Amino acid sequence: MRQGLRRKLGLVTAGLCLLLSTSQGGATGGGAVPAAIESSLAVIVNQTNPIDDLSLKELRTVFLGERSHWPNGRRITLVMMDSGQEERTAVLRDVCHMSETEFSRHFLQGLFTGEVFVSPKTLSTPVGVRKFVFNVPGAIGYVKASDVDGTVKVIKINGHSVGDPEYPLHIEVRPAK
Amino acid sequence: MNQAGKLGQSRAGGRLGKWWKRGGELAGRHTSSLLMFMVLCVVVAVGAFMIGDLHTASAQVQKMYAGSVQGLRSIGELQYEAQETRRSTLYALTTNDSNLQVEYADQSRAADQLVTEGIGRYLAGARVPQEIELGKRLQGDWAVYLKVRDEVLASILEGSIKEAVDLDLSGGVPSFDRVRQDLEEIKRLYDEEASDQLALVDASSRRSVIRLMGVLSFTLLFASVSVWAIQRSKMMNAVRLAKLQMDFVASVSHELRTPLAVICASAQNIADGVVDQKEQLAKYGSVIRHHSTQLTELVNQILQFAATHEGRNRYTLRPLEVNAVITSVLTNTRELAEEAEAKVEEYVADDLPPVMADFPALCQCLQNLFVNALKYGGKNPAITIRAACVHGDNGRTDEVWISVEDHGIGIDGGELKQIFEPFYRSPVVTAAQIHGTGLGLPLAKSIAEAMGGKISVVSKLGVGSRFTLQLPVAHPIRLKSQNQVEQGVPQS
Repeated sequence: MRQGLRRKLGLVTAGLCLLLSTSQGGATGGGAVPAAIESSLAVIVNQTNPIDDLSLKELRTVFLGERSHWPNGRRITLVMMDSGQEERTAVLRDVCHMSETEFSRHFLQGLFTGEVFVSPKTLSTPVGVRKFVFNVPGAIGYVKASDVDGTVKVIKINGHSVGDPEYPLHIEVRPAK
Repeated sequence: MNQAGKLGQSRAGGRLGKWWKRGGELAGRHTSSLLMFMVLCVVVAVGAFMIGDLHTASAQVQKMYAGSVQGLRSIGELQYEAQETRRSTLYALTTNDSNLQVEYADQSRAADQLVTEGIGRYLAGARVPQEIELGKRLQGDWAVYLKVRDEVLASILEGSIKEAVDLDLSGGVPSFDRVRQDLEEIKRLYDEEASDQLALVDASSRRSVIRLMGVLSFTLLFASVSVWAIQRSKMMNAVRLAKLQMDFVASVSHELRTPLAVICASAQNIADGVVDQKEQLAKYGSVIRHHSTQLTELVNQILQFAATHEGRNRYTLRPLEVNAVITSVLTNTRELAEEAEAKVEEYVADDLPPVMADFPALCQCLQNLFVNALKYGGKNPAITIRAACVHGDNGRTDEVWISVEDHGIGIDGGELKQIFEPFYRSPVVTAAQIHGTGLGLPLAKSIAEAMGGKISVVSKLGVGSRFTLQLPVAHPIRLKSQNQVEQGVPQS
């Protein structure tokens, strides 16, 4: 119930932001993108990756390093953004259900015990994430839907594409001060 | 022998013959100008030849630049970008920072894109089968290397450094070596092509230099010969003129000496009292007057020639009746004609139009022709004077032709041009002891030309001569047949 309310609030705020940017003549490159996509978080993989759809549960397994290879045998390389960025915050919250500290501890402990097979690569910009995924066949990362281009493939989550009302991953838009 | 028929042939030959003759006369008069013109033509031809050669050399150099030189530069750029592709990949190995690794991967991909485009351009421009084969081989080897490079980059980004190094050593290095060899091979091809074209340019340049030297040598030789010919022509003319002048002086001296000797002897006889009777004195006086008149005429003729030659004479042209002129000439020379026992026939057309001429000058001109006929017409000369209106040379202007014809010693064909030159005297007349100054005909010719007319001559050695004075009419009239003069048809 709380999650649905939050999503509605996000949609309204993103719509207001879009209206404002359009009225100011700003060209952010996402001017034509609907507000729902603007605030969505896209999970991206390499174009050669056969995976098209993951459940939120499978996604969590991947992002927690508990799965080492894709079905085609390619090693999974996890790409995260620097801590504090809203995309990372959204993934930790909506996918991993962990805080930053818990996430770090999970990987330290997992690598030590051998329960975690891969440690995430950290990149500072969405462009860097996109290029990394483009270069590495087994890479998986996330960026805002507006940062996606043709060099990478966006996968469905729980059978929903980005922009679908039921799409589960969204970035929490901070209210303007 | 009927000379009139032969004289009629003077008009034969047609327009081409006239032009040829005119060209010959022009060349004779303007030998220096003609030679200089020819030298100029040769220089222009040499210039055009040189420009052509330079143009060819320039085209060859441009072709070499557009082909080999630019090709070599493109291959150099390809080699650099290929190295850059590999270098950027290897740089990614040197850091653990994923952000930097992505940057290096980006650089590598940008460089490999340039190489791929360069190979495409090379293939598009390849014409020779060897080039096409080499281009395709390079394209294949480059694709193989890029595949390995992608794997290496992926391994580096994944953090599998050892795997990346192993991949690079096992696949990257050999495939990149093949690419490098292919590029070297293409470079070698361009080098060979450049060398061939350079050799072509060099050969062309050497050929041009040899040609140029040859042509310049020829021009120099031609110019030297021309200058020599001009100088020689001038010298020969000067020598000839000097000889003519000497002959003239000798001739004039001779002409002066005889009457002077007669005058001197007559005067001496009178002074010595040898002659005392009135009749004898009158005879001696007549002799002195006759020879004095002869001397005066000679001196006048020389002075008139000099004045005409220098253009000092100014003639007053006005319509003149030809009949009156002929009558005046015959009257003036009656004594000479009688002395020579000449038989003079005169055929003058009734309706002869007036001519534009100066009376004294025209009389002098005709008189010279008539006196010549008396002198060279042989013993008891038969002289025919004809005058008729005929069609002009240009087919438009009417002219009056006055001809003086004799049946004397005639003139050799080779001398016909020379008889109008001042001081010229034929060896035949000199040998025949016929006195003269060599100024009569040149003077007549100068006078005729000064009045807008001309004198032509037809002659045969031992047969006789016909001199024809052609003068423009004062008013256009009905045309008469040219044959009236040439065939000697009497008009009255």
